[in-house]
Amino acid sequence: MEKRLKTFFNVGRILFVIIIIQCVNLQVFHFHYYRRLSDQNCIRTIDLGIPRGKILDRNGRILVEDKTCFNLVFVPYDIKNPLDVAQTLAEILNLDKNELLNMFDDVSSNPFERRILKRNLTQSEIAAVSEYAFKLSGIFVQAGLNRQYLLGETFSHVLGYTGEISQDELAVRQNEGLKAGHYIGRYGIEKQYDNYLMGRSGGYQIEVDAHGHQRKILKEIAMVPGNNIVLTLDQSVQEICKNVLGDRQGSIVVMDPRNGEILALVSNPSFDPSNIAKYLKPPYSNKKPFLNRVIAGQYAPGSIFKIVTEIAALETGEIGEHDRIECTGTMEIGDRIFHCWKEEGHGWIDINMALPFSCNIFFGTIGLNLGVEKILEYAKLFDFGKPTGIDLPGEKTGNLPSPEGSGGAINLAIGQGALTVTPIQLCVMISAVANGGNIWKPYIAKRIIAPDGKVIKDFQPGIKKTIFISDETLTVLKRGLRNVVKFGTGAAANIPGIEIAGKTGTAQVAQRDTNLPTRGAFACYAPADTPNIAMVVLLDEGSSSQAARMAGSIINRLYMSEKTITETIIGETEPIQSLPIGSEGFE
Amino acid sequence: MENKINSGRLLLIVSFILTIIGILLLFSASKGIVSVKTGLPFYMKQIIWTFLCILLFIWLKDFDYRNWGKLANILYFICFLLLLMVLLVGTGRAGRWLKIGWFNFQPSEFTKFVLIIVLARYFSLRNIERFSTLFGGIIITGMLFLLILAQPNLGTAFLFIVIFFTMAYLAGARGKHLLILFLIGLLMSPFLWMGLKDYQKQRIMVFLNPWTDPLGKGYNILQSKITIGSGGIFGKGFLRGTQTKLAFLPEFHTDFIFCLLAEEFGLIGVAVLLFFYYVFLSQIWKISMTTQDTFGRLVAMGIMVMFITQIFVNIGMACGLLPVAGIPLPFLSYGGSALFVCFISVATIYNIYKNITLF
Repeated sequence: MEKRLKTFFNVGRILFVIIIIQCVNLQVFHFHYYRRLSDQNCIRTIDLGIPRGKILDRNGRILVEDKTCFNLVFVPYDIKNPLDVAQTLAEILNLDKNELLNMFDDVSSNPFERRILKRNLTQSEIAAVSEYAFKLSGIFVQAGLNRQYLLGETFSHVLGYTGEISQDELAVRQNEGLKAGHYIGRYGIEKQYDNYLMGRSGGYQIEVDAHGHQRKILKEIAMVPGNNIVLTLDQSVQEICKNVLGDRQGSIVVMDPRNGEILALVSNPSFDPSNIAKYLKPPYSNKKPFLNRVIAGQYAPGSIFKIVTEIAALETGEIGEHDRIECTGTMEIGDRIFHCWKEEGHGWIDINMALPFSCNIFFGTIGLNLGVEKILEYAKLFDFGKPTGIDLPGEKTGNLPSPEGSGGAINLAIGQGALTVTPIQLCVMISAVANGGNIWKPYIAKRIIAPDGKVIKDFQPGIKKTIFISDETLTVLKRGLRNVVKFGTGAAANIPGIEIAGKTGTAQVAQRDTNLPTRGAFACYAPADTPNIAMVVLLDEGSSSQAARMAGSIINRLYMSEKTITETIIGETEPIQSLPIGSEGFE
Repeated sequence: MENKINSGRLLLIVSFILTIIGILLLFSASKGIVSVKTGLPFYMKQIIWTFLCILLFIWLKDFDYRNWGKLANILYFICFLLLLMVLLVGTGRAGRWLKIGWFNFQPSEFTKFVLIIVLARYFSLRNIERFSTLFGGIIITGMLFLLILAQPNLGTAFLFIVIFFTMAYLAGARGKHLLILFLIGLLMSPFLWMGLKDYQKQRIMVFLNPWTDPLGKGYNILQSKITIGSGGIFGKGFLRGTQTKLAFLPEFHTDFIFCLLAEEFGLIGVAVLLFFYYVFLSQIWKISMTTQDTFGRLVAMGIMVMFITQIFVNIGMACGLLPVAGIPLPFLSYGGSALFVCFISVATIYNIYKNITLF
């Protein structure tokens, strides 16, 4: 033990000698070199920012990319007369003089580091700065990167936006090579896949003269570009959806029911990703432009939920295909009276007619017979109350209530209880109906590609689970959903040439005879026999037939417009079916 | 006998001198253009810490060091919980701090001391020549190591590995066993690496090779070398440093405090500092050579390992020999947690020393 202790102490001595040797090396042999560098304070760093990868749609069309721009920067140490400089800048660039002085005065970080004063200068601003350069010591124009969202608001809720890193985040992440002034993903895909999109910053370590002008480059580091991301979205589909929704407040989501790929995702009101500040203030902020209603809007599903009730009733044998129930327009349970939306009632109807006409009394009655627990059990099967797992930040789960807090079997059965859902959950549910029971995990990023073209990640569709629904039930249900559009409450979606099947839903906020705005929704898939599109349209203020009309219009434009769109959606797993043009009226 | 008396007293005197040097350097730093706009300047805070530490010392110097051994298990458990809490609710720079009331502290600092106590106890109670003992030791160290690595505090995590291997070696572990353990660690590291997230990997890459970040860490290292080199043999004089005053270095009062000394007092100042450290360490060494109690000896040796490693890594980093590690320079760097650990260590050694004279 003592021998080892001696050995160890000798190792310690050697370490001390190493330190001394290095200090002699620096302080004696290289003294003049370092003293000169120290006296002149002449080393600066220039950081050109972190490049980010492109984001492309499924056909390789660019949605976001970095463009070179020019930024105005300053080096606090090199500004000898802050007052003059601020005065001149305020005049030629129309900036606030006091704000400038505050920025020059900020001593919280390295005074030799260039900091950004104004991003993305125009040609005339650059000209003005050059003209007055003699008055602007310590001010430089420097190349930088500007993120350009080529389609403006159309993709805002999918792509998200970037923002400058905050002091707090910097404290935690400075070891990742991040510095003040760098941009990071803040929302949407930009945030979700920030680590992939972010490249590495480049720049120079330079020696400068007494005026702060570059004399020679000491070290140079090249930027490393970020990875590109290919989305499952189709620019054309997205544009059609955005167009159809127009200025209405609401959301549309389109998904491929065969694999969970999201083809379009629109939420209104939206924002311009390159001018976030504007939307953070009223009047824009009042309508919650940063709420992605598709994944974070939570609504009562309304009559769309009758799909689940119908499956539960048929699967448990609670009701047969031809069993009839009489709808007189009202229904008395204890001292409460429930109304059907049709005042005079539907008369004696079976399930084949109850779904197309969305009879509340019919579904309320079978809901009552099923009981709250059974309905909730089926709701749970479809993963209501759980996130769908879509690859966007901020997804909400909706609310799958406990039996006690559900609002009662009748309300629950017709989607007016305490159960709330997000449009994406509805879309996953209607997709499961369309594909015979598969709950897909919806996804947006299809592929991540390195700058050299190598595929880094290829996202595969993922089945979360398969629900067993018997063929008999499916046949009845699908025929019912088709009839909703053919002659029922969703007739507004009926278009020639394509068989759409769907279900309307209205979240009745108040009594039916008041004039308060209702939320109208429509969930559908098409074509009815071989579905390759599932869609949910939800209007924050509007009727379900307006939603249905929009859905019909979107599908019509998808199938009837140029071949390129349909090719990319349908063409991947199977050749385009010959569309049954003019087959309206017969099945 | 005479030698022993000198050891204890010298230890205290040198610790005190080193602390004073630290305060003077922090005072000089406060004259720079970058100052904290709110609250007390660093040197005032450090003076307060020093008083508290002296009180702690007076209380602990009569605390029988063998009691630390009895408390080992519970201390280990507390540290484990604290480190877990840091991961969950940590605040401050790099999230290494824990805020309790008005009191901010850094559990990873205290854990260093506790690890030494726990390992000393463990190795003194078991047969170190058996591989299983050694393996148990690496499990004990590994749990804390992983928690600290996850913060991520790579410097301190590295320190833990050094403390473990050196203490095991000094306790008498077989060379062959140590080699096997080292190789196992080497083989496991790729799996550990694969388990890390991308950003954690990048942090480690920058840590190992700062020149991948020449505008950040690499720039710091260049400035650190300029600062030391420009001091020359005699230095620029007290309060006359220019580099450190101009805030070329972000953490000049903690991780880069050696630069302050080297700039203002030159090579002579560096030699004096190293002389004091050498005297300090050799007293600990003498005490650990003299004591007959295995536990006490292991504790003293562990503390010595901790100090030597910290000194070498911190100064080596400032001189551009080692990666930027974020390890404080004992007694000099600003910070209450670090100073507390120094004084607890000195008090423990002092108590070990006093117990020697009883035999």
